[in-house]
Amino acid sequence: MHAVFAIARTTIGEAIRRRVLLVILLIALLLLVVAPGMNVLTARQSQTVLTSLILGVLQLSSAVIAIVLTVYMLPNEVERRTIYTILSKPVLRWQFLLGKYLGAVGALGLMMAMMTGTMILVFALVQRGASTDLLTGLARVPIMFFVQMCLLAAVAVFFSTFVQPVVNFFLSGGVYLVGTVFGSLFSTISENQNLPMVAKIGSNLIMWLVPNFAQYNVQNSVINQGSVIVSEQVYYAQMVIYGIVYISILLLAGMLIFDRREV
Amino acid sequence: MNLAIETKKLVKTYKGRGGSGITVVDNLDLEVGAGEIFGFLGPNGAGKTTTIKILLGIIAATSGEAYVLGGEAGDIEVHRRLSYLPEKPYYYEYMTGLELMRFYASLFKIKDEAKCIELLRRVNLGNDFNRPISQYSKGMQQRVGLAQSLLNDPELLFLDEPTGGLDPIAHIEIRDLILQFREEGKTVFISSHELSDVERICDRVAIINKGQIVAQGRLEHLLAGGRVEITADGVDQAMHDALMAPERVVSLKSGRLILDIADTDDVNSILDSLRTKQCKVQSIIPRRKRLEDLFIEAVGADDVAKGRERGRMTEKGEAVAVTETKEEENV
Repeated sequence: MHAVFAIARTTIGEAIRRRVLLVILLIALLLLVVAPGMNVLTARQSQTVLTSLILGVLQLSSAVIAIVLTVYMLPNEVERRTIYTILSKPVLRWQFLLGKYLGAVGALGLMMAMMTGTMILVFALVQRGASTDLLTGLARVPIMFFVQMCLLAAVAVFFSTFVQPVVNFFLSGGVYLVGTVFGSLFSTISENQNLPMVAKIGSNLIMWLVPNFAQYNVQNSVINQGSVIVSEQVYYAQMVIYGIVYISILLLAGMLIFDRREV
Repeated sequence: MNLAIETKKLVKTYKGRGGSGITVVDNLDLEVGAGEIFGFLGPNGAGKTTTIKILLGIIAATSGEAYVLGGEAGDIEVHRRLSYLPEKPYYYEYMTGLELMRFYASLFKIKDEAKCIELLRRVNLGNDFNRPISQYSKGMQQRVGLAQSLLNDPELLFLDEPTGGLDPIAHIEIRDLILQFREEGKTVFISSHELSDVERICDRVAIINKGQIVAQGRLEHLLAGGRVEITADGVDQAMHDALMAPERVVSLKSGRLILDIADTDDVNSILDSLRTKQCKVQSIIPRRKRLEDLFIEAVGADDVAKGRERGRMTEKGEAVAVTETKEEENV
């Protein structure tokens, strides 16, 4: 594991210096800071809109960072030939891939922590008198988002072992969209008795293959004060385990492909 | 001979579009002895880097066998005993030279910071190891590359174009370092286009063309067959006639003799005969065969034998074929 952590540390060091990621992070932080100002545009209850808006910014920015961070990770190493000096050392390919993934997740965690800190600070300043429970709840949501992004990063790393970065960008983005937004659509299709069997089987297959990203969207419990997650701790634990299992499967598949790939 | 590298009928074929295959390494038999500095030469696209990648286990051979330091190519235990410096390497530019050394050292579980600094000093980066690599010149990047390749005190070094694109000073520095490796008993496998360097530092060479070895052996054997030119004054016609022999070019004008003989000829007895006849020997110039001549000869002959064209650009930018087949067509 020595090599894995050495590669992970280097990946973090490089990721936090990548200009494109820093620009995305800067835009996200800027949006989080100006978000309270957008509140005047709506007549809805300000706390609900603000919470919804800042969590939306956080989630979307994190997803973009996760994809941009990971799709170029392996191709860049090959193109710049750094992979050759590393693989000619006593480093196995799975160690290299795992190190790169852990490094990406580490950099993602740092960036998300920065965004979460800014978000809570802005919220506490704007919503003076907000309860500690609300602030704690607000801090809990990004933890689930982080697991979601780790899963998305694993999807992108898996694809990066055999497709080009641009294709990977759209593939990973597509998988995230399907797993987040269109999950309920495919669920409806698979349960609709009037649709042909092929469509139902296809929907079932997609639902089975694509990770269920939507279940990490736990922001409703914070945005709408009335909605509550039953057995919240258990649910969170289950979601983390689901994430770890899915990530492990994706990384294992990626390692098998990468082990046979010619670089 | 104790072998550091051995390949037997090594083949690498890439699948092309439409199922056709492109063979980049074609039945390559290579033997590199331990402690040798071995030059691996060939034109662009000859299969040099592919061969190195196979020997490092970065890519798999289509068929054949490859052994490095007694183990199979790609064996992780063998990787502890070798090093690789790729062509035009890139290092994480945000790191300083020392941080880069720490990173590569950690891959070997080496925590010896003093060793990292010592190696950086050895490659003349003693004053620069705390500067980011982004501020390093090309030569400095190459030197930091060499320093990282020495971290594990390797028995075998693969150097892919180690002096390519460097200025003359950096060039000489790298060359001197490679010569030091020989003194330390390391085996060095150099792939290079810098034929003058190879000629100066390598013990043995192999020339590869289109994936096949076209010449291989010790440099002194491969470059044998040079000529010696002797110039002498006060030579008469009888002496001129006595020196006439097959494989000799003899010319006499106004008592000056110019004699062109093979370097295997008996130069001493010729000189003795000239001195006996009171002739004045003006010069003895050995004209050694150069590696460049051998390279062009071997690659050209292989291309001709296989009916391939190798173009030479004219001033107008038109390719002129130099192979016999094309010349014949032109005629």
